[in-house]
Amino acid sequence: MFNEIVLSQAANGIVLGFLYVLIAAGLSITFGLLGVINFAHGAFFALGAYFGLMLYQWFGWAAVPLAPILVAVVGMFVEVILVRRLYGKEPLLSLIVTFALALLIEAIIRFIWGADGKPFGAPAFLSGVFEFGPLLMTSYRVAVLVATAVTLAILWAFLAFTPYGRILRAGSRDPEMVEMLGIRLPRVMTGVFGLGCGLAAIAGVLAGPLWNVSPSMSASAVMPAFVIVTIGGLGSLRGATIAGLLVGVVTTLTIQFYPHAAGAAMYVFMFLILLLRPRGLLGERWERFE
Amino acid sequence: MKHPATHRSPAPRRMAAYGSILLMAMLVGASAGAYAQDAGPIKIGMVFPKQGPSASIGEYLSRGAMLAVEQHGKVLGRDVEIIFLDESNAQAAQQNFQKLVDEHKVVGVVGANSSASALAMAGVAERTKTPLIAAGAAAREVTGANCNRYTFRFQATVPVQMAGLMPAVEKQGKNAYFITAAYAFGQDILRTGQTMLQKSGGTAVGVDEVPLNTADYSSYVLKIRSAKPDAVVGGLVGQDLSNFLKQWNAMNMKGKIPFYEIAVSDTDFWDVGPDASTGTYVKPWYYNDPANSQAEKDFTKAFTEKFGKPPADKAYSGWLSMRSLLDAIDAAKSTDSKAIVQALEQWKDAKGAFPAYYREWDHQLIRPSVIVTIKKNITDKWDFFDVDSHTSKTEEDTLKDFGTKEEVGCNMPPL
Repeated sequence: MFNEIVLSQAANGIVLGFLYVLIAAGLSITFGLLGVINFAHGAFFALGAYFGLMLYQWFGWAAVPLAPILVAVVGMFVEVILVRRLYGKEPLLSLIVTFALALLIEAIIRFIWGADGKPFGAPAFLSGVFEFGPLLMTSYRVAVLVATAVTLAILWAFLAFTPYGRILRAGSRDPEMVEMLGIRLPRVMTGVFGLGCGLAAIAGVLAGPLWNVSPSMSASAVMPAFVIVTIGGLGSLRGATIAGLLVGVVTTLTIQFYPHAAGAAMYVFMFLILLLRPRGLLGERWERFE
Repeated sequence: MKHPATHRSPAPRRMAAYGSILLMAMLVGASAGAYAQDAGPIKIGMVFPKQGPSASIGEYLSRGAMLAVEQHGKVLGRDVEIIFLDESNAQAAQQNFQKLVDEHKVVGVVGANSSASALAMAGVAERTKTPLIAAGAAAREVTGANCNRYTFRFQATVPVQMAGLMPAVEKQGKNAYFITAAYAFGQDILRTGQTMLQKSGGTAVGVDEVPLNTADYSSYVLKIRSAKPDAVVGGLVGQDLSNFLKQWNAMNMKGKIPFYEIAVSDTDFWDVGPDASTGTYVKPWYYNDPANSQAEKDFTKAFTEKFGKPPADKAYSGWLSMRSLLDAIDAAKSTDSKAIVQALEQWKDAKGAFPAYYREWDHQLIRPSVIVTIKKNITDKWDFFDVDSHTSKTEEDTLKDFGTKEEVGCNMPPL
């Protein structure tokens, strides 16, 4: 019975962890490549959920994949008018400015869509559950796991094998050299910020049918994202992936066996990791993106 | 050249003249200011959530309160000015209450959606001697151990509402699972529910106190599923409850184990839609209750016309709380805080389906709550509930439900 409970919660934790990884991946990229701590990451997550809901209501499920693209465009606009002024400045400044941006986006969401939550369920073909003995998983959560894995694989392939991906990685290590090679780095950085926001929005679209779609849903995303990026190592996507899965499992097992500490579990875990390895699991001293 | 001995310096006499003019000017200015204060609008503070997970509840509370201001018109022949500050958390609520008193000189405050905020603000109310009507808080301490002469409370306490709920829970069986919010309100539900369950011979087969703003409840649902209780008693708040219901339904638990909770709001269910809504609840008021009086129906009609949707119960809470304060200021014929408190203690709303009044020795509003169950078939996007009954039928029974002085534990000093 004990083993069944542990198995059930661990499986649930892995599924939860995949969602956390997707939420954190965009933040990791933004910091790793741009050196900007984007506290508005949760707001773009919420924007993704709202755009997804809006597209579903207007055009049906087929249009929902456009939501992250729209959010990425918004992100690029924000980068051009605001974020690029933060490059090279002290990290506290980017934290303050992006925090203000987060509040602004939440206020805009509330203004446009209202303070009420919005009903947004999973598509009919993904409703239902899988039950294998003690394991209970909704079809939708399995779909989220698959979608996250595919997204991360595409992202990795993009960064590893495409010319643009190589430019991004080179630019994060040596921006002067990249510019001397004739590559216009500002445009690259706009694209990177848009990519980070787009990833947050993918997570928001996937989370919309799971969690309540409301203006304050960003808070549910931004704190786990920061914790996971810190545990994984700033700027490390591989680290964020491992950290996300670990945080998911730690959270669900704590809920099972010591529920009073459920709210603090991920923070205690982060504290322990940083005690043992201050730069995170796979962070580099240099903290550039890998 | 004048001889110094014969030169009379005009400075002292001139200084005295200037000083007198200045003093007169200050006195005239001060009395003009006081006159302006007496003649200007009456300022009333409102402290409800404007952002965060409870923002939609705060919106209904404030809309109901503002509608009451609109309908009431002038107070003491003067306009009413509402200063609306945020209740983002208990600390902010406390600070904003202080700001309302210090900077805006309000004569009273209607506020506090959460019990934590109510407890924090009650301390300021007592210290500054400013009447507070806590419109949303249900934790017993607000008008119990932490009661004070300047704090009034709208919502029925947790023990009163749980007394209305638990008979329905116990009908399902002896084993119940509690999943409650990890703060005053949720802890009160847990404490009260476990005591009542034990008295009836039942057992709590599981207890979870969930941190506020928890988004993912899948692990909690798995725990409940494996514990196999006869019923689940919830104590979750606002969007946390919405999240739980959504995931409860998604994990195929809707209809398998009945769910019960108190002090819920219509918005908790409108947020998740008919598919995910389930359960039996105690709530302060329901807009479509057949027992509603004409005054309540008029309120519903006015709110619906103004905002395009019917009033959630929280709108009614804000409306009646603000009405009571405005009525009390008129009855006191003064903005003096002691006079307002005394007037509130004498206030009675006989227009409702059941008479409502603040009990003199603890300032708890005495009125029954309504017991509702989610409709089997929801066809209206706002009308989710069937009304089962009310927690009491007569004025005497209602008063009995709210407990004796010894049970409540409030000992207020004289005013």
